Amino acid sequence: MKTIGKEGIPLEVLLIEDNPGDVRLTRETLCSGKRSIHLHVATDGVEAMEFLRQKEGKVRAPRPDLILLDLNLPRMDGHEVMAQIKGDDSLKTIPTIILTTSDAKADIAKSYQLHANCYLTKPVQLDAFNCLVKSTSDFWLSTVTLPPPSQPQ
Amino acid sequence: MLSPLESPEGVLVTAAVRDISARKKAELLLLRTMAELNRSNEELAQFAYVASHDLQEPLRMVASYTQLLSDRYKGKLDSAADEFISFAVDGANRMQRSIQDLLAYSRVGTGEKNVGDISSEEAFEQAIANLRGAIEESGALLTHDPLPAVLADEGQLVQLFQNLVGNAIKYRNPGVPQIHVSSAKDGGKNDEARWIFSVRDNGLGIESKYFKKIFGMFQRLHKREEYSGTGIGLAICKKIVERHGGSISVESQLGQGSTFRFALAASKGKS
Repeated sequence: MKTIGKEGIPLEVLLIEDNPGDVRLTRETLCSGKRSIHLHVATDGVEAMEFLRQKEGKVRAPRPDLILLDLNLPRMDGHEVMAQIKGDDSLKTIPTIILTTSDAKADIAKSYQLHANCYLTKPVQLDAFNCLVKSTSDFWLSTVTLPPPSQPQ
Repeated sequence: MLSPLESPEGVLVTAAVRDISARKKAELLLLRTMAELNRSNEELAQFAYVASHDLQEPLRMVASYTQLLSDRYKGKLDSAADEFISFAVDGANRMQRSIQDLLAYSRVGTGEKNVGDISSEEAFEQAIANLRGAIEESGALLTHDPLPAVLADEGQLVQLFQNLVGNAIKYRNPGVPQIHVSSAKDGGKNDEARWIFSVRDNGLGIESKYFKKIFGMFQRLHKREEYSGTGIGLAICKKIVERHGGSISVESQLGQGSTFRFALAASKGKS
């Protein structure tokens, strides 16, 4: 069993987000830390599920250590993606974090009902956004012990 | 309409024919106008909410990227570029505040109305707790009379007190800001009894020609460099009070402090 994120082994993070501006902002903050991170991006729910079920072209897509999921997505929305991830025995152990502009009570409640690991509302100010992404990645990629990368099937 | 009328000449009958079609027409018109007004009010509230909500997303991009441009490239281009970027950042930030304030204003109208018998004193205490930072920083002295039970939405009453007391601290004279909140009963009949609340300060005061203007949306009496804010606070106060069926007014003299008064229905319970 490899120790995640230690000794220069890069962490695999899947960002499911359709706004390229948000993708870039997240990448800027996430990848500016000391930790080596491979950021994969899926721009809608269908693409995300294909990546997670390792159907991405001919290359075997790596299993992410962490998933950042937007709610408002084309084709398949974030809640549906969440339901599929948490309904799949081989995927449900991957910590999945909602990262969205919505602060609607209904969205928050539904996300947790679908077993989101946490719910984050994107702050309006850049500084606050950077702070949020940084503290989230610090916590989920350094503080916590993540599940082993290869699950016994 | 026929009415018998007895007279020495025998029974006479007077006939009165009143054409009420005009009245019926007017009633119908009134009903239609009211329905139309309601619909357009709801539409307007919905519009403000949707506009402010949907504008946030693209604006977040403009604000974030101009800020990123400023963080990364300040001093690396030329002085004109620095100036342009700083205007863009400032504009985006101000627009963000305006939109957030517009959203807050429209929420007063679209949220559920949660009116019940509540203690205005507790609402006031909550407002004070929310303003703790500003109160400590300014050294403001806050006093109040015992405050009554009223028929109101608690969250909105907290916001009302918070905006008024917050303003009293913000627009203060040099020295210690003193703010006093009191209430007086108005109207004898029990089911129409109201409480008139007064929030009195010893702050900058306001010229009488601005008494009406200050309750308008995005109205400000000071330059941006002097006092921050978009000018929504009192507009929200007015909307809250009017939603409760009351009215709000100010009495003030420049340099002599201000007193804001508003009326709320008394609690229906024993008082």
